[in-house]
Amino acid sequence: MKKTKLGEFEELVLLTVAALQKDAYGVEIKRELEDRLKEKLSVGSIQSALKRMEEKGFLTSQFGEATQKRGGKRKRIYTTTSHAHKVLAEMKEIRAGLWSAMPKLAYELKLI
Amino acid sequence: MKGSNHIVPPQWPLRVLRFFVKREYLEEIEGDMEELFYDNVEQWSLRKAKRIYTWEMLKLLRPVLVRNLEVIENLNRYAMFKNYFKVSVRGLMKNPLNSFINVFGLSAAIGICIFAYAFARWTLSTDQFHEHKNEVYLVTFFANRDGAQQQFGRTPRPLGEMMKADFANISKMCRVEDRNVVMKHKDYVFHERVRYVDPEFLEMFTFPLKWGSSTSLGDVSSIILSEDMAIKYFGDENPVGQDILMIFGKDPQNPSQTLTKAFKVTGVAKEFPKACTIRFDFLINFENFHTSEQSFDFHDWNAFVNATLIQVESPSDLRNIKHSMEKYKRLQNDAVQKDWALSSFAFEPLATLHKRSEFIRDDISRSSSDNYKSIVYMCIIAVLIMTLACFNYINIAIATAAKRLKEIGLRKTIGATRRLVIIQFLSENVVVTFFALVLGLILGMTFFIPGFERMWNFNMDFKLTDPNVWIYLPAILLITSVASGIYPALYISRFQVVGILKGSVKFGQKNPLTKIFLCFQLTLACIFITMSTMFYQNNNYMAKRSWGYNHEQTMYAHVADRESYEELHALMSQAPGIVSISGSNHHLGKSNGTAVLHFPSREIEVDQMLVDANYFETMEVPVIMGRGFNDHEGSDTRSVLVNELLIKNMLWENPVGQHFTIDSLQYEVVGVVKDFHSYSFAKPIKPTIFRVADKSDYRFLSMKVRKGAELETYRMLMVKWAQLFPQIPFEGGFQEDVWPGYFEANKIYRIVWGVFTFIAVSLAILGLYGLITLNVAGRIKEFSIRKVLGASVNSIAASITNQYLVLFGVALTIGAPVGYVLTKLLFKSFPYHMPVDFSSSAIAVMILITVLLITIYTQIRKVQKMNPVEGLKVE
Repeated sequence: MKKTKLGEFEELVLLTVAALQKDAYGVEIKRELEDRLKEKLSVGSIQSALKRMEEKGFLTSQFGEATQKRGGKRKRIYTTTSHAHKVLAEMKEIRAGLWSAMPKLAYELKLI
Repeated sequence: MKGSNHIVPPQWPLRVLRFFVKREYLEEIEGDMEELFYDNVEQWSLRKAKRIYTWEMLKLLRPVLVRNLEVIENLNRYAMFKNYFKVSVRGLMKNPLNSFINVFGLSAAIGICIFAYAFARWTLSTDQFHEHKNEVYLVTFFANRDGAQQQFGRTPRPLGEMMKADFANISKMCRVEDRNVVMKHKDYVFHERVRYVDPEFLEMFTFPLKWGSSTSLGDVSSIILSEDMAIKYFGDENPVGQDILMIFGKDPQNPSQTLTKAFKVTGVAKEFPKACTIRFDFLINFENFHTSEQSFDFHDWNAFVNATLIQVESPSDLRNIKHSMEKYKRLQNDAVQKDWALSSFAFEPLATLHKRSEFIRDDISRSSSDNYKSIVYMCIIAVLIMTLACFNYINIAIATAAKRLKEIGLRKTIGATRRLVIIQFLSENVVVTFFALVLGLILGMTFFIPGFERMWNFNMDFKLTDPNVWIYLPAILLITSVASGIYPALYISRFQVVGILKGSVKFGQKNPLTKIFLCFQLTLACIFITMSTMFYQNNNYMAKRSWGYNHEQTMYAHVADRESYEELHALMSQAPGIVSISGSNHHLGKSNGTAVLHFPSREIEVDQMLVDANYFETMEVPVIMGRGFNDHEGSDTRSVLVNELLIKNMLWENPVGQHFTIDSLQYEVVGVVKDFHSYSFAKPIKPTIFRVADKSDYRFLSMKVRKGAELETYRMLMVKWAQLFPQIPFEGGFQEDVWPGYFEANKIYRIVWGVFTFIAVSLAILGLYGLITLNVAGRIKEFSIRKVLGASVNSIAASITNQYLVLFGVALTIGAPVGYVLTKLLFKSFPYHMPVDFSSSAIAVMILITVLLITIYTQIRKVQKMNPVEGLKVE
């Protein structure tokens, strides 16, 4: 977890890529995330997150098929690397640990 | 995809994207965008989809995705620019004279530019702070006066109320009328001017209040003060709730009583913005006319209010209103006599009122048409001085090119392209200009702007926090540095490496363009000197100009009414120094009326002054034909005296005995007086008539005193006044002080022109000096050889001088006459000016020749004193 530098938004995008598997390309990632987050995202923010994570080695990509709707342009399908999986797993563990440490506090918050 | 042939995303954002985004990302992003676009088209309208598409495209321009453009790459070489910066700073240090000429010239020019900006901003922003400036309109009318259509800012009295009642789309209406009163609070008693307004005034004009509430104007006993007045009467404390007494004057029904009314202060306006011409000292409800003037008829179509303003929701409402003004026109024209008939109503938005004010007579906004003209002059002068400074820079850069040839040769040999050399020179220029900009800003903000403000005693409110300044300053930096740097950069970068290193190139010293620039500079300097000398002479001439009457040993006092006049007259006529004393309704330089003269064939509007029989003698207005008025009651009620101009305009051969009618009464001309100035010299004399004033109309008491008795009599006047009218502050003074501001203004013009000329001339001189110095320095070897071979000082001097003789000849033959003609043209806009002669041109020529001779002399001395061996040792 030390030097991974994965921002919150980047983490969400990364998880989406992992979840979408073969369908993980720009617009699809955007749709999926918008559905889950219930807010509008811009293409720019998704793209810059993808590019940054590719540079950091969380993602690899290759060109996929082209559709007519895309004006004959190919999609770029993103795949998570094993490094990314490791980092995501670490993050989940850290969070789980923190969550398990929390209930005592949370239940004591009585309203009356 | 069906329909995709017709529906396509907008093209320009795509182009922007293609230009900026890294190539390897383009395909997928374009694809994504297009896919999204068609999704959106299905979901929303085409327009919205396009809008989303464009907006998303713009949001895509992020650092991660944007490619490094070549231009940016080139400019991005930090080390290179650091080096350029060092080179240019060292260059500046090494050559202090040239640097001084460049930096001083540019900073003076930039200082003037900043000054011009501040002035223009101030003028253009006048009265522009009102929030409703586009919805508030001044009601004006056009009428035929003296054969010309003129626009008037006054309005018939009942019009405002009627319009408000008749038109649903007029949301607010406000009448404005000013009156002089005496204001009293505790021991503070002053003459003041109050504004009677409708309560909406403060909603239509957005003058924020410091204390109190603006709605309080609805109450007839409320008064709202300006901040200045609040301080004048109440000091720094909040006066809201305090009482102030207004003395309107004597009650016409019961002359022994004075009409007064106590008002409660309910508001104090915040300090007005500096650029503001419509303002007020005191605001009270318009209904107060019921109290202050019982005879004030709100429904009298014959009378006018100073201004009526209306506010509409949108400018389109105004069109309907305009169409329906016809009935008011009929009402008005039925009510008044033929000579005041109006031809149409018009509406002037508050936003443009100040600018148009010169063309609207009697409007409440002060006209500053001269300021608008001054902006133009100032821009021309700023540009000219900037040109002079840039030319200096170019000249010196070219002349010093010889010294930098090796550097450039070397740079080129180790791989600098021509473009890089150009960039180097331009960036050096940016450094120099930046210094100049900082200096210029300091110069402008500490010298030009405050100096000018102090002279005129106003404030342009120039602040560095104004965002426009930060567009303007970089623009100056860019334009100046490119304008001054591009030619030297192109010129120097053109040299071929081989030529430079072999030493076969001798560039820099004889560039024909240098001569043209210098010639142009000298011409401009010549024009500037000619013009400012002429202005200087003219100001002196005007200062000595006669007013057309004797204003020495004359004083006047403004009285409230006939009784006050008689009381004061009785006391003052016993004063020992009095030569003559007279009463009048109007007074020279202080007030006058107007009248329309009817002739069988035409009618003209003239100034009218109502005076008594002594007036001509007291004020020493010479009666040159016929006679003055007779000094007994009831005489000359149908006689007039006219001024020369009126005779000239009427083409009368025998003015005495001519007839005309005023208000359907016939008058006869009995005498003619010499033309005199009732206004300052900046305004032309008007045709004027004098009539006998009815005693009850006396408002001025004027006195001629013996020479030497002025101060004594004046002191006595003050004492008697205080005895007679302890409640009323004295209003009057020496006749000489009637137009004090005029001479002040003259002095200021002289200073301003002096500063401009000083800068222009010193720029030209510095340019000349720099060029000659460099020229001599470059020819040191030549002169040394000549000296060794036995050349005389004279022959060397001649060889230096010859180069510049033609140049000078051309500059002077163009500059002197152009300056002469330009001044003559400018003088045309002054009604009175000195006879234009060639003396100022001659002075300009002489100054410039002296400068040239001195410059050349210093250089010749240098050559003369130089040891030729030193000169030959070089290289």
